[in-house]
Amino acid sequence: MKTLHTIQLIIICLMGMHAGCGQEASPPSSSPEGLVVRYSTLSSKIRGLDPMDIGDTTSSAIGGNIFDCLYQYHYLKRPYQLIPNLAAAMPTVSEDSLTYTIPIRDDVVFFDDECFKATSGKGRGLTAADFIYAWKRIANIKNVSKNWWIFDGRIVGFDEFREYTKTIKDKADVDYSKPVEGLVALNDHLLQIKLKKPWPQLQFMLAHLPTAPVPHEAVNHYGEEILNHPVGTGPFILEDWKRGSKIILSRNPTFRDERYPSEGEPGDKEAGLLTDAGKRLPLIDRAEFLVIQEDQPRWLKFMAGDLDVAGIPKDSFDKVINTNRQLTPEMLAKGIILTKYQTPLTLWYGINMEDPILGTNLPLRRAMNLALNRKEYIKLFANDRAIPARGILPAMFGDFNPELVSPYINYDPQKAKQLLVEAQRIHGGPLPTITMTMGGTDSTARQIGQYLTRTYKAVGLNFQVEYMDWPTSQDKVKNKSAQIYAMGWYADYPDSENFLLLFYGPNGSPGPNNMNYKNAEFDELFEQMGTMPSSPERKALVQKMEQMVIEDLPCILTSHPIAFALHYNWALNRKPHVFGEGHLKYGNIDVERRHKAKTG
Amino acid sequence: MWNYVVRRLLYTPLIVIGVLLVTFLLFVVVQGDLSTEIAGRSASAETIAEIRAEYGWDKPLFINIEGMKQHGIEALFDSQFVKHFVDTVTFDFGRSRASKQRISELLWDGAGPSLCLTLPMFVGLLSTSLSIALIIAFARGTIWDTILVVICVLGMSLPSLAFILLGQYFLAYKLGWFPIFGYEPGWSGAKFLTLPVLIGIIAGLGSDVRFYRTVMLDEIRADYIRTAYAKGVSTRRVLFVHLLKNALIPVITSVVLAIPFLFLGSLLLERFFGIPGLGYMMIEAIGNRDFKVISAMTFIISVLFVFGNLATDICYALVDPRISLH
Repeated sequence: MKTLHTIQLIIICLMGMHAGCGQEASPPSSSPEGLVVRYSTLSSKIRGLDPMDIGDTTSSAIGGNIFDCLYQYHYLKRPYQLIPNLAAAMPTVSEDSLTYTIPIRDDVVFFDDECFKATSGKGRGLTAADFIYAWKRIANIKNVSKNWWIFDGRIVGFDEFREYTKTIKDKADVDYSKPVEGLVALNDHLLQIKLKKPWPQLQFMLAHLPTAPVPHEAVNHYGEEILNHPVGTGPFILEDWKRGSKIILSRNPTFRDERYPSEGEPGDKEAGLLTDAGKRLPLIDRAEFLVIQEDQPRWLKFMAGDLDVAGIPKDSFDKVINTNRQLTPEMLAKGIILTKYQTPLTLWYGINMEDPILGTNLPLRRAMNLALNRKEYIKLFANDRAIPARGILPAMFGDFNPELVSPYINYDPQKAKQLLVEAQRIHGGPLPTITMTMGGTDSTARQIGQYLTRTYKAVGLNFQVEYMDWPTSQDKVKNKSAQIYAMGWYADYPDSENFLLLFYGPNGSPGPNNMNYKNAEFDELFEQMGTMPSSPERKALVQKMEQMVIEDLPCILTSHPIAFALHYNWALNRKPHVFGEGHLKYGNIDVERRHKAKTG
Repeated sequence: MWNYVVRRLLYTPLIVIGVLLVTFLLFVVVQGDLSTEIAGRSASAETIAEIRAEYGWDKPLFINIEGMKQHGIEALFDSQFVKHFVDTVTFDFGRSRASKQRISELLWDGAGPSLCLTLPMFVGLLSTSLSIALIIAFARGTIWDTILVVICVLGMSLPSLAFILLGQYFLAYKLGWFPIFGYEPGWSGAKFLTLPVLIGIIAGLGSDVRFYRTVMLDEIRADYIRTAYAKGVSTRRVLFVHLLKNALIPVITSVVLAIPFLFLGSLLLERFFGIPGLGYMMIEAIGNRDFKVISAMTFIISVLFVFGNLATDICYALVDPRISLH
């Protein structure tokens, strides 16, 4: 799961979440050897391509095109819908919702790689056992995988397997053939998962990159270097990786027969998103990613037509977007297209509920929410590219409540001042200075800090900001010594549970509930909701829980960012997709149009 | 001289131990272990304990009294500092905490591109600034001297980021004379390095020319220059043979001590032009509290610096017959 701090999030949103940009230095007007090549960038370095360890956005953006999961999100349909990927069909679920039986496709092979010694380097067929092996690697405590949270306490016998790995001194000695009751390969192409209790979110986890299969041959062959030698079943192969500089993916010649979707949502056909319907994937031959961490070179490369897609740098925003929030005529004349879309992201300032001043003083927390002018804040720090947050859930979630009402979210400094009087009475005297921990020391962080200090001083609250690097601020949050801190949450899957778990009492620090919010009724409802399939009853529960949170206000909600992404008209099939990874296979390039545009 | 060299070399281990101790104190003792951060959101106590064991953070800092009581004297040195020291001096830097890559490979991969950028930049800047300083020294007191000094001051006043932004925008994007961004190893990469090298030289000229001008002016007023002119020696020979050789002591001081830092690359140029060097690695490592990377780079730089210092002293003796090493 991705928890991000505000500065990172603002920057990411300003750049356009999934835009990518950057590219090769030679002008790509003519593609090498007549290949269809997509040029884009990564804004940070890849940390490794072992699914067991993948957690950051950049590594996922690459790894998702090399590895496949059992399920994937439909590229065009909205709301987001899971469809089989490596699975041959959606799972069969037992009546008690505890047993999932999943058929595996029989036409999937791993890439050809020297690790497959028995077949002289030819990739072997995928089996159900490969999933069990990959998941056992995550469970192996010696591997120190960040992704154990996916399975923790969920599958029958899996926690016991993890316990067993504790008893083994060397991780290489762990016996992966040791049976786990809840993970059984009924045959080569039939996987059975037994759960301890109903867990409807399992289907989303099976579309999450860390659950992708990995062949044991590759792990044994490459050892620790497996993170640099990904062997998957996906549409692309890692052709070249110059660390910190460039990554090239090329079409996997043994990729199974998968076709571009033939149906989407209304408007897709008119938008040209079904032109490639029924064509075999991937549609491009190669994708080149340059690691460009600075705005200017990335933007200049895009403006020179050397890149197919880009975000909009903060400093260039007013030159690119007019007052009607549309592209300027100069941009349109260059054949640039703007896409605006919501992200599954909510930003807030977390309040440590175990702090003796803030945790017990509800009027103080409400006053701090009322004192913040969210519209002004968004205008200043996000170029108006966000919606003021009224609740936890972004609007794209099915359980989103458009009628959610709280008298403490709107900007009302007079009411805030009145509540502060009550807050002082509860505190038993003048309130001490409230300190916010800012995980960033750059100019944006300091500007935000100055703005918040001014905001709270205006209503009579002494407020100060301490600036530090992100890891240090995280330490403070995790050891509960921060009072208020910048935080946000980008959902991994389209289920409200992914947001609500942040407020579940037992998930307190160092877990994801770093606000240390405790509400017995909320916890009870969360446990009840967690086992329920999607239904009107579940939706009502979710909305009740969200209402509880905005009444108690363990955070100062700020915004739901909107991403602005740009692409040239030669980059085809561009549809924003905010869940899952591995969408590169759907993209196409009109090489001729690009060539004409580049050569005038 | 050899006695001096051997004696200085014998000091080196002590200096390196001191450096390792300081970095250890700064990044391990002061900042503590990062197990909860590494564990991520699933940080159960067992996972954190496993991470602490994996990184050796469960061991005592300097000496292991408990270990000695249980396992004998050999366990006394089973501590974080001793392991850190042994690993470092045997060049077993381990893996980066942030990238999980082998640090030795990161250093090896990054040193080449960094040196491809900084070496030509260094040589170009040195030769250009020395030449300009000599010309200014020759034309001292004229309008040309004033103009060049003003230009130098202006150059020094502009931050190097301004040179980069303007150079990249006008020379690469607007005029298309150079690639905007990118890097290729080997000779094919020369086209990518030309603009950053050029910018690096121009950005450094102001301060270097001013410094070398001062050095040259100190020498040009000396008696031996007047004598050389009186004997009818040509201006070129006076400037490039007599004056330059005698002005070399301060030049050597600044030049030889700068050489170890060439290895570190150039943070801004590498980031803006996509050169995968070591310039940003140290900064990133500090931001990520990637102690192993910081330690490895500090170790290498400190060793290079020690040898750089020694080389400086030897160069003094070679250049100036008045200096002898004892």
